[in-house]
Amino acid sequence: MTPRTCLIVDDSRIIRKVARRIVEGLKFEVDEAADGSEALTFCAAVMPDVVLLDWSMPVMDGLTFLRRLRALPGGDRPKVLFCTIETRAERIAEALSAGADDYVMKPFDGEILSSKFAEVGAV
Amino acid sequence: MSPEDFDRLQSLMATRAGYRLTRDRMKLAEHRLGPVARREGFETVEAMLAALWARPVASLGWAVIEALLNPDTWFRRDRGTFDTLSGELLPALVRARAGKPIRIWSAGCSTGQEVWSIGMAALEIGAAVEIVATDLSQRALEKARTGAYTGFEIQRGLKAQTMLRWFDQAEDAWIARAELRALAHFTRANLLTPPTADEPRFDLIFCRHVLDDMDAGVRGQVLDQLERRLVDDGCLFLGAGERIGADSLAFRPVSGRQGLFVKSPTVLKRAA
Repeated sequence: MTPRTCLIVDDSRIIRKVARRIVEGLKFEVDEAADGSEALTFCAAVMPDVVLLDWSMPVMDGLTFLRRLRALPGGDRPKVLFCTIETRAERIAEALSAGADDYVMKPFDGEILSSKFAEVGAV
Repeated sequence: MSPEDFDRLQSLMATRAGYRLTRDRMKLAEHRLGPVARREGFETVEAMLAALWARPVASLGWAVIEALLNPDTWFRRDRGTFDTLSGELLPALVRARAGKPIRIWSAGCSTGQEVWSIGMAALEIGAAVEIVATDLSQRALEKARTGAYTGFEIQRGLKAQTMLRWFDQAEDAWIARAELRALAHFTRANLLTPPTADEPRFDLIFCRHVLDDMDAGVRGQVLDQLERRLVDDGCLFLGAGERIGADSLAFRPVSGRQGLFVKSPTVLKRAA
C-alpha cells in the first residue's frame, strides 16, 4: 500500500515541525508549505490525502487556499483540517462551510490531532 | 513522601475506593497531592499525611482519595462503543421501550465527557434517555455538572461540527447546551457500596476504564452489583480492551462489539 500523505501548511517553522512529528507518528508521509500559495502549487501537482491548514498566513491565507483547492480538479478529495489559533465559534463555522472537514484549535497535542484524524476517517 | 506514607495511601485507596495505587504512581501521587495540601492549609504533603494518619478526618481522607483517582477521559472515547450505541442499541431500545425513556447509568463518569457523548448520540437519533451519572470524586462531578470544557478538552475526541452543534462558546470555555444537560443527573456514588434494592434498573450501563484500575479482589463484587442494577435484556459497556475473565460469571462478552457485555445465561436462569 502506498503511504498516505499529509501536507502541513503553516507559516511557523516550529508549528510545522511539531505537527510533522505527530503526523509522522500516524504513519503519514509529510510535506510542508509555508503559505496558501505554496500549498496550492503543491496540490495542483500532487493531491495529498490530508491537509493540515493554518488560517492566518502571508501571501495567501488558509481560507482562500481552501476555496481554491476545492475548485481544483480532484480538490474535493483531500481531508482538510484547519489548525489555527482562531477559536471563535462563528469563524469555525465559516471554515467548515467553506469545505473544511474538521477544525483544530491551537494549542493542540498528539492526542487531539490523532482523534481528529480518526474522526474524519483519515486513519 | 516516605515509603510508609505510600503504603498507607495504597491501603487507604484499596479499602475506601477499591483502587489499585501501583508503586509506579508514587511520583504522580506526590504531584497530585501538592495542590490538596495547599488547599487544606498544610505546608507540605508529608505534613498533611501525618495529620491524616494521626486523626483520620473523613473530609481530608476523601480529598486525598479523589486526587489519586484516575480522572482521564475524553469525548467519544473508544469510538466503536459509540458507533454500536447510536447505530444498534439505541434504535433497538427505542423500539423495545415504545416511547418510555431509556435509562442509562454512567458509572464512573469523571468529568462528564462520557455522559455528553451518550447524550449527543441519543439526541441525534431522537431517542428519549435519562442518564444517571455517578462518580466517587466530588470535584470531578462539580466539573461535570457545569458541562464546561477548555478548548483543549473539548476537541479531544469531538469533531468541530459536533462541538458547534452541542456546545456554546463562553469566553475560553465551551459549555454543553441546556437540552443536553437536561438529560443528565449527577450524583456521588461509591461502586463498593451496595445500592438500595428498590431503585429502578437501567437499560444500559457504562462502566468504562474503571475496573482496570480496581483491586482484583473487588472487581467481581462491583460487576455483580452492576448486574443487579441492569434489566435482564440490558447491556453493559466496559472500556475497549477491558475483560471480565474470572472476576465474575454475571456477564458474557458480545463478540464483534468492542467492550459490550450482556448478562450470562447462568444469571438469567437464576432470575427466572
